[in-house]
Amino acid sequence: MISILLRLPLAGFRLEVDVRLDAPAIAVLGPSGAGKTSLLESIAGLRRVAQGRITIDEEVVLDTAAGVRLRPERRRIGWVPQDALLFPHLDVEGNVRFGERAGGAKQSFREAVEILEIGPLLQRSPANLSGGERQRVALARALASEPRVLLLDEPLAAVDVELKSRILPYLLRIRDEARIPMLYVTHNAGEAETLAGEALLLRAGRVEAHGPTRDVIAEKMWAAIDPRARFENIVEGKLGASDGSSPAELRLPGGVGLTVPAAGESPGRAVFAVAPDDILLSAEPLTRVSARNVLAGRVLSIELSGGDAMVRAEAAGITWRALVTAAAVRDLGLAAGSPVWLAIKTQSFKRLR
Amino acid sequence: MTTEDLSILGLTLRVAAISTLLILPLGLAAAWALARWKGRGRAIVETVLSLPLVLPPTAVGLVLLELLRRSGPLGRLLDRSGLELLFTWKAVVLATAVMSFPLLVRPARGAFEEIDPRLLGLARSLGRRPATVFVRVALPLAWRGIATGIVLAFSRALGEFGATILVAGSIPGRTRTLALAIFHRTQIGQDGAAMRLVLLTVVLAFFTVWTSEILSRRRERQLRA
Repeated sequence: MISILLRLPLAGFRLEVDVRLDAPAIAVLGPSGAGKTSLLESIAGLRRVAQGRITIDEEVVLDTAAGVRLRPERRRIGWVPQDALLFPHLDVEGNVRFGERAGGAKQSFREAVEILEIGPLLQRSPANLSGGERQRVALARALASEPRVLLLDEPLAAVDVELKSRILPYLLRIRDEARIPMLYVTHNAGEAETLAGEALLLRAGRVEAHGPTRDVIAEKMWAAIDPRARFENIVEGKLGASDGSSPAELRLPGGVGLTVPAAGESPGRAVFAVAPDDILLSAEPLTRVSARNVLAGRVLSIELSGGDAMVRAEAAGITWRALVTAAAVRDLGLAAGSPVWLAIKTQSFKRLR
Repeated sequence: MTTEDLSILGLTLRVAAISTLLILPLGLAAAWALARWKGRGRAIVETVLSLPLVLPPTAVGLVLLELLRRSGPLGRLLDRSGLELLFTWKAVVLATAVMSFPLLVRPARGAFEEIDPRLLGLARSLGRRPATVFVRVALPLAWRGIATGIVLAFSRALGEFGATILVAGSIPGRTRTLALAIFHRTQIGQDGAAMRLVLLTVVLAFFTVWTSEILSRRRERQLRA
């Protein structure tokens, strides 16, 4: 549990935050320049002019009224900045071991290397890593320091980053296996919903919305606030084995199986993304159709913007977003609560890891 | 090459090495403080520290002499502690240390300033105290600038003349370093003998600078690899 009461002067405005965060993972949303990075840096103790009171698990790390300002090295916070900030003079192993605690658990290094899958990179220099690899090493370095909280700033280029560079699958493992609470700055609505039950929306230094992630994203017209916002359907499940040529089955936590591209050599836990405009909607049951996935569901909400309509629908235990034309919504007679069938082609599922 | 030449060379090297080692911790601390300190008064401190660079060395020597003479403010302290300084090899060390100090500080400060302060903050958030961060992050990253500073300071110490002659004189076998000996020999008409020492200084300077070039290239390759 993190409680934050913070005032911090920034160029042009003031960051003013007063929230209590409870979920194991919290998404921090908002346009560029809203103060998201400054918020993380204040929690880490890297902003000296920060005023207010911050507690982590009941321990006071900042209380300017009482004259308490815990030094960054005493806060036990794993900070992963946008640009990873690896130590250029150390190899990957040196970077990850930098924060190892003298009296800490001996396996924290191994565990961090294993979760982030950076074993083959250990002897490499940071200069020879790709952007995604760098981010993973920075995450491993933070994890190996046995932090109480992880603060993650989405990589700058994350909006258009390649599939294999995406960090999300690793964050899900950290949330579920290492069980370290995290604050995650992101512009990706799908990632936010998948990872974090709770979200904070910042705008010009103020908390514009705070609550369950799906409410924050849907009701506050997040897209209108953040022009870089990206909506994406993210599905997580257990991937069955396949021989590499025929499609594989992705079993969702709710029990429904989806047909996705061949698993290749790594079945097991998997994360896929589906673009909203790759989902077909029908107002009637689809029977003879080439798409291998047809899910029956219910419309949750429809957001119109220009000639487009973002339809949120619940199916197979997941909230999906489908981008269709406003005219299609009219012709199908869709409205909140109406039944809907979603058709998704096998190849529309893009594996993140 | 005579034994006298060699003993002059020995004295010069010893004095320059001791002087450089002496100012290293102080100079790095000053460079680090100046690089991190953004407050007011910084420009004045920087200017004062750089004065030996721009003042005539004899002027610096005279100031030192006034401070250190028995009746001077520092001289009294020295007298009480029984330390004899003026006109000994220690005075040569002091003069060269003062004159070469800014040459160490400037490049080291520049190198420290180039380090992303967020990198240092991140190192601390990983649980490391400021002193550890300095040793394990700042020093290795500023290595090139520090090496440049050390070479410049050492070279300056090898050739120091003006301040040295005022506080240490030119006593054969005790305070007469290469630069002083060259001057002395030309004064007494031994130009050939002076030329031998000039050759020595050229060789010395060449190897000092060359070694530092090789070291910093190797370091660059390491960082890039």
